[in-house]
Amino acid sequence: MNIEKIRQDFPLLNSKNGHKPIVYLDNACQSLRPQAVIEAVQRYYEQTPACAGRSMHRLANEVSRQVDEARQTVAKFLHANRKEEIIFTRNTTEAINLVANALDWKPGDVVLLTDKEHNSNLIPWQMLARRFGVCLKFVPSNPDNTFNLSAYQQALQGGVRLVAMGFTSNLDGVSIPAEEVVRLAHKHGAQVLLDAAQTAPHQRLDVRRLDADWVAFSGHKMLAPSGIGVLYGKYRLLEAMQPFLVGGDTVASSTYEDCQFLPPPEKFEAGLQNYAGIIGLAAAIRYLQQIGLEAIEKHEIALNQYLSEALKSVPGLQIIGPADARLRGGIVSFFIPGVDHHRIALMLDQMAGIAVRSGQHCVHSWFNARDIPGSVRASLYFYNTQEETRQLVDALIKIRKVL
Amino acid sequence: MFCVVSFIVLSILSVFSAENRSLAREALDCVLRRVTLRPCNTGFDEKMKAKILGFVITKTETGARILNRFFEPLSWMFILLFLGSAFFAVRGVYLFYVTGSCNGLNQSGFCVFDPTGQSNQISNVGESCPVVLPGEDPVSLKGVNLSGFPVLNGDSQKRIVFIGSYGCEYSRKAYPVVRQLAEKSGASFTFLYYPVKESSDLLAKIGYCAYRQDAQKYWSLVDSFFTAERSQIEDEAFIRQTLTEAGYNPETIAFCANDPQTEWAVKKQLAEVVKTGFFGTPTVFIQNEVLIGPKPPRVYAIALDGLLYWAR
Ligand SMILES: Cc1ncc(COP(=O)(O)O)c(C=O)c1O
Repeated sequence: MNIEKIRQDFPLLNSKNGHKPIVYLDNACQSLRPQAVIEAVQRYYEQTPACAGRSMHRLANEVSRQVDEARQTVAKFLHANRKEEIIFTRNTTEAINLVANALDWKPGDVVLLTDKEHNSNLIPWQMLARRFGVCLKFVPSNPDNTFNLSAYQQALQGGVRLVAMGFTSNLDGVSIPAEEVVRLAHKHGAQVLLDAAQTAPHQRLDVRRLDADWVAFSGHKMLAPSGIGVLYGKYRLLEAMQPFLVGGDTVASSTYEDCQFLPPPEKFEAGLQNYAGIIGLAAAIRYLQQIGLEAIEKHEIALNQYLSEALKSVPGLQIIGPADARLRGGIVSFFIPGVDHHRIALMLDQMAGIAVRSGQHCVHSWFNARDIPGSVRASLYFYNTQEETRQLVDALIKIRKVL
Repeated sequence: MFCVVSFIVLSILSVFSAENRSLAREALDCVLRRVTLRPCNTGFDEKMKAKILGFVITKTETGARILNRFFEPLSWMFILLFLGSAFFAVRGVYLFYVTGSCNGLNQSGFCVFDPTGQSNQISNVGESCPVVLPGEDPVSLKGVNLSGFPVLNGDSQKRIVFIGSYGCEYSRKAYPVVRQLAEKSGASFTFLYYPVKESSDLLAKIGYCAYRQDAQKYWSLVDSFFTAERSQIEDEAFIRQTLTEAGYNPETIAFCANDPQTEWAVKKQLAEVVKTGFFGTPTVFIQNEVLIGPKPPRVYAIALDGLLYWAR
């Protein structure tokens, strides 16, 4: 992996007019976009800005072909059985909401979550609890925030309808043993939805091997344009599900009284789709595949190990999650007791042009339960360098001397 | 306190950029919450503090440490300094408006609105204006006998007394302004002519004689002397011509001016002018104010009719 060459593909990482480029360490929120993706989006708007599927002219046909191809690209990326298992959504949140709203719920149905879910994989289920009396249960993490398999097994005993879990936590970068989680869930008759928003950009996802029933992720964290996300679902489950958003493009025909829905994926893709986003997502996936997800994962872990080690020289700094950096993917979330996390982030930006995230990262529940006000999160991607992490550490040491 | 400081600073900066405008709005939000004793929860102060610290730390770590440690007291200090300077600035603007000088009536010293000190310039500029050494007593009309001096609208309640010299640039600047003000307001206008060089003044005598001969025509004579070229004023031919134009007979005036009686009377008058304690021209007495040097027209008007002179 030639990082210097890769960095040239990202406009923001190229220093211009002698200005130091930004040190972008907020990849868990959104990644940067390479030229190839920007160009794919631009090409759509310049050359084929038309409706797919509806009209018959050549532009429409071309868009239909590209969208179809993109769906195939995503299916291959996930190792799905067929491209009809890929539903385009706006983002992870919409994908999760789709599943939550498309299943039939009965009072007392149990949804099992971890204790550090992103709000996007918490609130939709809380709404079900309010509307249908669905019961939410949480698997407590180990003290070091890793997945507690025995607690999970115990929780499954009580009868669970759906296991909905973040594959990789945006809080600390820890991934759950997803294959095992799915296997055990299925053994107990539960279905599984994986929130892979922080997984898809960083490690190979094989839905067939995982055997997960649904997998959701967003494009904007993996080089694709914002406003495009994916829900993978096993085809037979998708067929049985109620549609969520309905309207144009979801039905084969309608009368004044009734309608006949199209099969998946159209059944779930209501209204004009984000074609530029879909085409951009395919371009992003092709870019990632060129580099190779194994290489990406390896690079991030190596960087994380270096960074975690170097951060030991910042007095009082505590990293959230396990001590072993290899278990935290590309995320280093930390806090310094008594020092405001926002202040650290703002100072990093001001003094060294380092972009990190501060706050509770949409995992309020976890912070609130532990009375920790928040953390600073540095999230890495394959274009980040050791030099950049060094700059972060140096700046933190300086800040620590002052605050 | 920091929110208040930021609000003030950013409000000023917001004149220049839109980014500062939105920050100023955030700061105001922050101030209002402060005022109602809720914690400042916009995160604004935190944001600004961090930005400032982030900037300072790149210059000096010690500075940043001190700043971090004493942020609140430093904010207080800043605001006190600001309030202090704001007070002086507002006072300066007010004084400039009312007196033509930021530092108060007839005070010299630097004033941004009048950087060359124009409104305080008086006689002591070379040869062209009379120079009288300032006396111990304040400049005033107390004990000065004004009878016999040329006066217009003598019975008006409002009174303007003008000491000036035809050859003095600053008197020439102030004279038309004050004359016009007197005319418009109906105030009485007394003119005390004071020559550039006391010993050799012919114009004082001519004026004295002219007024005595015909008080009506006298004023157009004065107007002519004030508007004439400075170099001509003492030129005999010019004086003759001006007298003729004003409707006087130059011969009879010359005769009167040469009379020792006139010389004696004029000397007495000039001695009377000196009694005011004035030390340069123009010196204008309006109601209870003494205005020394040429002032902007509004300053004379305010002295006569108060701050709201324009509403009358
Ligand atoms: C673990 C996880 N789940 C869900 C989401 C929500 O993603 P989106 O905002 O794209 O819907 C995020 C985004 O940060 C995330 O990190």
